[in-house]
Amino acid sequence: MGLLPITANAQKRHPQTILADSAIISVHPYQKGSADIIDESRMNKGLIINSLEALSGQAAGVNVSSNGSSHMAMLSSVRVRGTTSLTGGNDPLVIIDGVYSDISTLNSIYPADIQSFTILKNASETALYGSRGASGVIQVTTKKGLGSKFHISYDGNMGVQSVYKYLDMLSGDGYRTTAQRLGLDYEDGGYHTDFQKAISRTGMIQNHHIAFSGGGENSNYRASLALMKQNTIIRKHDNANFAAKVDLQQKAFDDIMTIDFGVFGSSMKKEGIYDKQKLFYSAATQNPTFPNGKNANGGWDRNSSASQIGNPLALLHEQDHNKMLNFNTHMAFSFDLGQDWDLKFFGSYSYNSIENAQYLPTWVWAQGQAYRSEVKNEDWLGNAQLNYHHTFVNGNKIEVNLLGEYQKRNQRGFFTTVKGFSNNDFGYDNMKAGSTLPYGGTGSDYEDPALASAMFLIKYSFHDVVELTGNARADGSSMFGNGNKWGFFPSISTSWDVYKTFSKLRSLRWLSAFSVRSGYGLSGNTGGIESYNSLFLLNPNGLISWNGTPTTTLGTTSNTNPNLKWETRASFNIGADMGFLSNRIVLTAEYYYSRTRDMLYMYDVPVPPFIYNKLLANLGSMSNSGLELGIGLTPIQKKDMELNINLNVSFQKNKLISLSGNYEGTHLSAPEHTSIGSLDGAGFHGGNNNIVYQIIGQPLGVFYLPHCTGLTKNADGSYSYEIADLDNDKVIDVADGKDRYIAGQATPKMTLGSNVSFRYKDFDISLQINGAFGHKIYNGTSLTYMNMNSFPEYNVMKKAPETNIKDQVATDYWLERGDYLNFDYLTLGWNVPIRNLSKYISNLRLSLSVNNIATITSYSGLTPMINSYVVDNTLGIDDKRNYPSYRSFSFGLSIQF
Amino acid sequence: MPEDKAYTSAKDIEQNLVATLYNYIGGATESEGLQGTPRGVYDWNSITTDEQLIPVRGGDWYDGGFWLRLHTHTWTPTELPLENTWNYLYKVITLCNKSLYNIEKNKTVLSNTEYTGFTSEVRAIRALFYFYTMDMFGNIPLVTDYHTTQNQIKQCNRNVVYQFIIDELQSVLPYLANEHSNYKGKYYGRITRPVAEFLLAKLCLNAEVYSDDDWTDKKIPNGKDIYFTIDGKKKNAWEATITYCEKIKETGYVLDGYAKNFCIHNEESKENIFVIPMDKMLYSNTFSYLFRSRHYAHGSALGLDAENGTCATCSTVKAYGYGTDSVDPRFQLNFFADTVKVNGNVVKLNNGKPLVYYPLEVSENMTGSLYEKTGGARMSKYETDPTAYDNGHLQDNDIVLFRYADVLLMEAEAKTRNGMDGEEELAAVEKRVGAPSLSANLDNILKERLLELMWEGWRRNDLIRFGKFDEDKHLTVFPIPSICKDLNHNLDQNPGY
Repeated sequence: MGLLPITANAQKRHPQTILADSAIISVHPYQKGSADIIDESRMNKGLIINSLEALSGQAAGVNVSSNGSSHMAMLSSVRVRGTTSLTGGNDPLVIIDGVYSDISTLNSIYPADIQSFTILKNASETALYGSRGASGVIQVTTKKGLGSKFHISYDGNMGVQSVYKYLDMLSGDGYRTTAQRLGLDYEDGGYHTDFQKAISRTGMIQNHHIAFSGGGENSNYRASLALMKQNTIIRKHDNANFAAKVDLQQKAFDDIMTIDFGVFGSSMKKEGIYDKQKLFYSAATQNPTFPNGKNANGGWDRNSSASQIGNPLALLHEQDHNKMLNFNTHMAFSFDLGQDWDLKFFGSYSYNSIENAQYLPTWVWAQGQAYRSEVKNEDWLGNAQLNYHHTFVNGNKIEVNLLGEYQKRNQRGFFTTVKGFSNNDFGYDNMKAGSTLPYGGTGSDYEDPALASAMFLIKYSFHDVVELTGNARADGSSMFGNGNKWGFFPSISTSWDVYKTFSKLRSLRWLSAFSVRSGYGLSGNTGGIESYNSLFLLNPNGLISWNGTPTTTLGTTSNTNPNLKWETRASFNIGADMGFLSNRIVLTAEYYYSRTRDMLYMYDVPVPPFIYNKLLANLGSMSNSGLELGIGLTPIQKKDMELNINLNVSFQKNKLISLSGNYEGTHLSAPEHTSIGSLDGAGFHGGNNNIVYQIIGQPLGVFYLPHCTGLTKNADGSYSYEIADLDNDKVIDVADGKDRYIAGQATPKMTLGSNVSFRYKDFDISLQINGAFGHKIYNGTSLTYMNMNSFPEYNVMKKAPETNIKDQVATDYWLERGDYLNFDYLTLGWNVPIRNLSKYISNLRLSLSVNNIATITSYSGLTPMINSYVVDNTLGIDDKRNYPSYRSFSFGLSIQF
Repeated sequence: MPEDKAYTSAKDIEQNLVATLYNYIGGATESEGLQGTPRGVYDWNSITTDEQLIPVRGGDWYDGGFWLRLHTHTWTPTELPLENTWNYLYKVITLCNKSLYNIEKNKTVLSNTEYTGFTSEVRAIRALFYFYTMDMFGNIPLVTDYHTTQNQIKQCNRNVVYQFIIDELQSVLPYLANEHSNYKGKYYGRITRPVAEFLLAKLCLNAEVYSDDDWTDKKIPNGKDIYFTIDGKKKNAWEATITYCEKIKETGYVLDGYAKNFCIHNEESKENIFVIPMDKMLYSNTFSYLFRSRHYAHGSALGLDAENGTCATCSTVKAYGYGTDSVDPRFQLNFFADTVKVNGNVVKLNNGKPLVYYPLEVSENMTGSLYEKTGGARMSKYETDPTAYDNGHLQDNDIVLFRYADVLLMEAEAKTRNGMDGEEELAAVEKRVGAPSLSANLDNILKERLLELMWEGWRRNDLIRFGKFDEDKHLTVFPIPSICKDLNHNLDQNPGY
């Protein structure tokens, strides 16, 4: 429940105890309080259906992107202290029990199997992970057997999800009367259908989890099995996950050797929406006089002149099915060599496959289309480490760690596309039913990058008061150009327990803790690079007629940069932790500044001399800085009653410093304005519909828009957006560099996570509130649905006929403040005093939760919780693709024997 | 596949350095391909003219005002499709330079004939792309060496580029096969000698335009004073045009049935000179012009999709005599107009009314008009392939880039301009479709070019040559795209922009 590195029960959180089983690095160089550890007590309550959700809002500087979509699908992106790279690799490195992994694998672990998350944000910690640590690291420690006693537990929950907010569009009658009043030629299907409702339903969720553990004096084990099922609020889309996990530990030879062994497997099914924007766009704007289902002729009615949408009910039949299989296993041999020496060997193997199957029926796509693909990944990791730790007579301590590591990955994939279906009965299951294999619709690929690393770490502590840590890691990757194969990532950090140092402080009754810490280091990011980017290669570039036969030729398909390397992020941090009144009040503060150099970016390059206009190169730089504050209060702490209030606030600032530099003697620079995101839909193709930009000297993702001074009345009584002549050239031109200005940023300047928990005897209640402030959202949905020009081909909002705007030029008129405060969940729990009732049951807990209770915001669209963190073409733009807002109600049961 | 392993035999060199370039004549994405895709070379040469337009139709086709700016000549250097078109054209030119470099580097595995054959074909492709680039952008960088660095890339005057293209084509001409390139077989879709000769005829016919380095003044050179040397003989621009047209004639092209050139299996046309091979089962080249022109209901009736966009201008349909008693026979072949029928059945809108296209109800912005969705005669010309894929983007009709009727019209024009009689050639084109013969003067020839070559992408070129593209002469070339200028400070903007 606490969310601060030191809290009222801080003694539970010493890194040494919590991370002892993390296999990668046995000596933990984390300064006390620096690494943010989220153990079970701090994970989110309520209806948690995947692991990352347990983390959302709990750690300062960690943003789990929600993207306004279904919960199971939404947690695809996490940002630790913002975006540090333009090209890729912004997801933090995920390490599960020592095995390098990824976010999707993490999401297939059942939350109750996780003992703790450790978030590494500072360079002195991320530098340990060398060329891959720049975007932060999430270490996950799963639960292991605890000892000899046998335990078995069940926990599960069941819930329903129901929509509480749709877009306010014209109803069937409203559509009819509006069209008649305006004298417009419209199609009357004779019905009265709310298509937004027609594609939704009440969602159902159930999760079940059984775990048991036991063992003897020298060994222990834990095994668990989990099942999750979700019928999403959008019809015809279900998700499921099945996961199993076994961990064993055996001590041998008088405890000289310890063997750890773990296996984890999961099988996850996700039925995604093939084209989210098209489905929600169609549901909102389909002619509401059409039937809720097929028409009398057995076909799907669609607005005959609305080319950008289809019948939403027909679109529901588009299939985009993913099946993900994970198999991970690891084994570690640790030797206690006596006399301060330890030796450890660790090996892991993981296999995962992602199978994707899509089918687009003939009534949605002429001739239909089936697509199947599979990507298989195998990952081997082996490392050896030698540790030395010694306590001197004077109480000073030294720890030294040497690590050698080798990692190899092998990825194979293929895909195939078939078109020309005469009926839809086979779907993607029998592709023979399609008549053509279009060129380019089938392919396969392979890559096998390898990474070798060596690391040295030393830590010295003076009387447990001052601690100094230094480390250096060298990474050699096969992915980089000759001459850049090896990178070097050093770091240094220190911490000082001020409270312990001065006896005067210790004598103060109100002060209970005070320490400061700081660090500096380098870490790398390789995310934007694929295996063969730095090599001159030819690929099949097409099929032509040659000498009378269709022939596949090879050609250059992209510019090659032989000098590619990782980008480097240098970070500095300084922080302090303070505790007052026996740690009933704790405060932490941390400031960080980081700078990404040699930034990987797809630069615009001139054609000629280049063949293509994009080149991946290491130029440019970006900075991130911020302040993270935490406050923990325990106003009441009694036997029967406890109140905890925790609050974390982070201020983040990002700046794109430069996107220019020299490439082989040529000065490369990016254009002044580069658009990241634009609007889509009818009448929005091309032209000046770009909304979000990256601009040098600005934060990544700013709104660069024409300024609307208000609505101006046209001759026919309708209204247009009046655009200001910002460059005073007497001409209205909304092109880049002309009548546009920077109107705000898409990423929040401040985020907030807060938790209030109260316990009275066996009852507890917990409320989580999250918020984001200082950013804006472009309401492209309203711009589109308020445009009377598109009526009656496309349905419009209820307010549209009255407002009578006949214009769809993108201006700042629809740029709104994105600030919000979201009541994320409220959980009421009862720990049933069962001990008196049964000698076998040790704990029985019942809980009731409501998720997504309410949102306070001035934003006029469906929800302000869109993608405000991940830099892609959806950043900051609400454009006809949001799920209706929904609430979840769930009941949870947990029994331990 | 590592590049050094791809050129080890004559066959590999032929496939991976010569044949590979033909992938870029057509295209499958916006602004790629000489014809067939939207927002590329074709649109810059067609939507910008009095021949056709894409009106704003309510919520459809506003697209940030792009189509309006094209049609009203108010485009700006920042248009993204302009940049994409530039990048496409120079991509192919640079790939040609790369091919020439690698052929040179690996010439030891080639015989002399192979070496000359390969380099000639690549140089001809490069000349073709320089032609389109020069025609659009005027003063452009002339890059012929793959290893040219950015600092060395500077613009040349249009005339220099023009001379270069002529010289290149003339010097490779003898090494190109004297074969029809539109027939299925060895030379299908390739640049053969008649293709290069067509290009030379086109270049000579436009000599007054292309050799004029200052196109913003009213002064233009006289074609009679511009000389070319052909087979050792000095000829003025018009004589040179005539010579190349005659050479093509000798290769055996004849006027076929008009519709035969655009039918689904038009590989047998005796008239087509250069085409983009299309085969929906094999090639990815797309043709989106029929798709984007027809009404949604029209598309549905065909079992295909539609975007309800492009249509002919009023002046175009009037030139065909639409609405009068004497309608040019090609009107039927080139347009869908009035009540639309598919397989003999009237196409119905969802409200039960028949679909009627109104050829004369066209304006640049038809939003709110009664004819918002139905104004304008739509593109026909190419026979609709009922089994077209991908909403109708993939069809079997080859896209016609050069054809013989144009050769005859070029010859008629060159003769007229040279003070000779172009009657025979003009009459041949008119007679083939049963249109009345007009006397061979420049006005009639320009009109005949519109009627004959409708939808074929030549209108801008013609109007500029006849001085009728725009009063404001700086608009006869497009601006250097601003991004290209930003990335290479050596580039100067074309005058007037």
